[in-house]
Amino acid sequence: MSAKLYALGTHLPGDVETPATLAELAALLRACNETGRAAVLFGGRTLQGLGAVPKRYDVAIDCTRLDRVIEHEPRDLTIALEAGCRVATLDAVLAACGQFVPLDAPRAAAATIGGTLASGWLGPRRATYGRARDFVIGTIVALADGTIAKAGGMVVKNVTGYDLSKLYVGSLGTLAAIGQANFKTLPLPSVRRLAVAPLPEGSRARTTANIAALATEPAAALIVTGFAKEIDAPSGVDGCLVLLLEGSERTVDAATRELRSALGAAGVPQTRLIDREAGFAFARVLDAYVETLGSRSMTYRSLGLPSDTTPRIDAFARVARANRLTLETIEDVRTGDVIARLSARLVADFATRAKLFDGERRTALAEARILVAPEKLRAGLDAWGAPAASLPLMRTLKSRFDPNGTLAPGRYVGGI
Amino acid sequence: MLTVAADRLRDELTLALGPGGVLTAPEDLAAYAFDAYSDARLPVAAALPRDAHEVAAVVRIARAHGEPIVARGAGTGLCGGAVPVTGGVVLSLARMNRILSLDARNRIARVQPGVINLDLSRAAAPDGLFFGPDPSSQRISMLGGNAATNAGGPHAFAYGSMSAHVIGLEFVDEAGDITWVTIDDAGYDITGVLVGSEGTLGILTALELRLLRTPRAVRVCVAAFDGVEAASECVSSIVAAGIAATALEIMDRTIVRAVEAHYRAGYPQEAGAVLLVEVAGESPDVEASERAIAALARDCGTLAWRSASSAREREALWAARKGAAGALGRIAPNYYIQDATVPRTRLPQAIARVEAIAREHRLPVGNVFHAGDGNLHPLLIFDRREQRQLDAVVAAGHDILAACIDLGGTISGEHGIGYEKRETLPLVFSADDIATMERLRGAFDPARGFNPDKIFPSGAVCGEVRTPSPTLSHA
Repeated sequence: MSAKLYALGTHLPGDVETPATLAELAALLRACNETGRAAVLFGGRTLQGLGAVPKRYDVAIDCTRLDRVIEHEPRDLTIALEAGCRVATLDAVLAACGQFVPLDAPRAAAATIGGTLASGWLGPRRATYGRARDFVIGTIVALADGTIAKAGGMVVKNVTGYDLSKLYVGSLGTLAAIGQANFKTLPLPSVRRLAVAPLPEGSRARTTANIAALATEPAAALIVTGFAKEIDAPSGVDGCLVLLLEGSERTVDAATRELRSALGAAGVPQTRLIDREAGFAFARVLDAYVETLGSRSMTYRSLGLPSDTTPRIDAFARVARANRLTLETIEDVRTGDVIARLSARLVADFATRAKLFDGERRTALAEARILVAPEKLRAGLDAWGAPAASLPLMRTLKSRFDPNGTLAPGRYVGGI
Repeated sequence: MLTVAADRLRDELTLALGPGGVLTAPEDLAAYAFDAYSDARLPVAAALPRDAHEVAAVVRIARAHGEPIVARGAGTGLCGGAVPVTGGVVLSLARMNRILSLDARNRIARVQPGVINLDLSRAAAPDGLFFGPDPSSQRISMLGGNAATNAGGPHAFAYGSMSAHVIGLEFVDEAGDITWVTIDDAGYDITGVLVGSEGTLGILTALELRLLRTPRAVRVCVAAFDGVEAASECVSSIVAAGIAATALEIMDRTIVRAVEAHYRAGYPQEAGAVLLVEVAGESPDVEASERAIAALARDCGTLAWRSASSAREREALWAARKGAAGALGRIAPNYYIQDATVPRTRLPQAIARVEAIAREHRLPVGNVFHAGDGNLHPLLIFDRREQRQLDAVVAAGHDILAACIDLGGTISGEHGIGYEKRETLPLVFSADDIATMERLRGAFDPARGFNPDKIFPSGAVCGEVRTPSPTLSHA
């Protein structure tokens, strides 16, 4: 494998390892731990740019050969897979028996289960179905010292011992390497329909309010501004509403009627319905979260309440204007997420403006985090936003799980 | 603890909390020596703080005296999680019982830990919202305790246990510092690990909870079967068919007769087992689901099928189901309730094993359980005054857990490990697994002052299994 594929910031790894079993993964970590070499775990490299550039980086551990489905009993609505399994594989295996896990990972064909969990990925359907973390019923991990440890199990309800899986989800491979994850699954809705509607000028606030009041809630409701390549629809002046309906045919039909009248009342004249290709079209929207415009864009995620998306979008717009950057946004009406992609027309202009933008947004959008940025620029940006009050405790956790700093040192919050 | 030291500890607590905030008389402390599992020794003092600052003061004072701290809500826990096994200070959160805010637009409630579970749903009802987790104790149990044990309830099947609903919390750590965390914080999911940590990592002093929209249509049905196995088969087939029920509960004849004697909710008393089915959601879907479930029930040999015709009838069926353990308590001298969980397809086998084990140990057993989740609650009936029965119930309890683990299950689905099952933890987890959990504990509470003697086995060597304590719940 070419080390270039595993470059982080300006670092290249000395070695690239590709373990095929959990035992091999654990042995590799132990060897790194004993020789003072820092290891970074890789999945499908779709979210590898999350967090800061590690301070030290000697060995890349590519987990994609850990790709077996370990246990799948459809009648139990549970599945256990190795961490290197692609999200698309999980989707396909489950769809074949009418089930799914709502991970909403971008670039699902490349993204792995382990990477999606380690990244703490948050998708738009979590308002309806819950977070990825809530579907994980068990994990097997390898710690930095090579210990293999299990948490949870294969039952859907379990309070036996600490729920360590919660700790690994979102830890970006800084506490342990996820080797296996067990999920509970959901019955697949029989119908999926994507409604796409350009929003005319001045219709946005009323659209948002009317959607929040829908009796039949959409599985996801996004207002997208820009992202022309991913949203296959003409955008209105106020953006484009992308709304996913999931359920039985009757419910989706009733929801469609209700939606049309709610949008009509908000002054939105046309709604296009996508049925057969709804899954594909929605996946393209998810891809937009991490899609770059080469080295002339970066994307932030701002988490907050559904009721306060507007001031956050306005803040992004203000700082973008001040730094002559183009802003594209995805406003998640149900979860309150704001995804903001900033870009310049010329690569040569981007780095300087991006650094200024990142510095200035720290007051107005302190909690925003970088989802993706040009690799060479990343080291100079504030990937994490304002540190949480629990930072000292997080440092202690790191020192208990990875005292030698073997696992991606410096990648995490506060330089952990 | 020496009398002089105990007096000094009590004085310091009284100074911090005022005379109304500390109990020290043995007759008052007796109420804080037990929970729904068993009684133990008296604590040195019971502290009743009114806010997080007072909680922090209690933690600092107890720590300075080297006394353990056992947090307590309503004391409805079934595993001895709130029992002060080695004395120390019991910290009751019962006076911190205010709903701090209810944000209907964003569907978020902030509550103090002493708010009673059901009171939150009642407060949210005018906004068309409710709180998902509904342990059977919800009329008295408190949200802080629910969070600490990651409690579930019948509706965990559809909505998940507490951990899926706690989106932020405030806690007091071992140093007596107060910290707010949320699941959206940049960094490790501190919220996620505190939920279900049974008071061993910190004291929860406020919770931020997700509220759900009240479904527009609800149907509750009762299906009668000739036995628990047939009812379990029916549940397995409903789950496998992917029909979106919101609750699937089974009660056997022993339990049905006990609840009918008390509640007269209209459950068929002659059937070997009844299945309580709830479907909720959009009106046409609910009707379609009910029809599909009724058809599956017929395939599994149901003897009778009844659909509640009014909200009142629905509530009566639920009240009886949630009062099942209490109703059994009226007719049994003592009972011992288990909480093992198995993969859902193994439910019929697990039930058969439970009944065989009960027969083998010559103990009557009642079964009431969250069938949709594979979460069993066999209640072994015994008389604690009879040593043979006491020994038999301990042995049978252990055999049931071992049988469920053998079927791919685990020892607790929603009650917790507490004091009761700590010695059984190594049946499920290896020494390495447990040592990894200890790393987490070490990061929060290296001195192990919070709820010691819980969750983890007492043996210095991990992997050792001991006989569980013989002090069991009495009705």
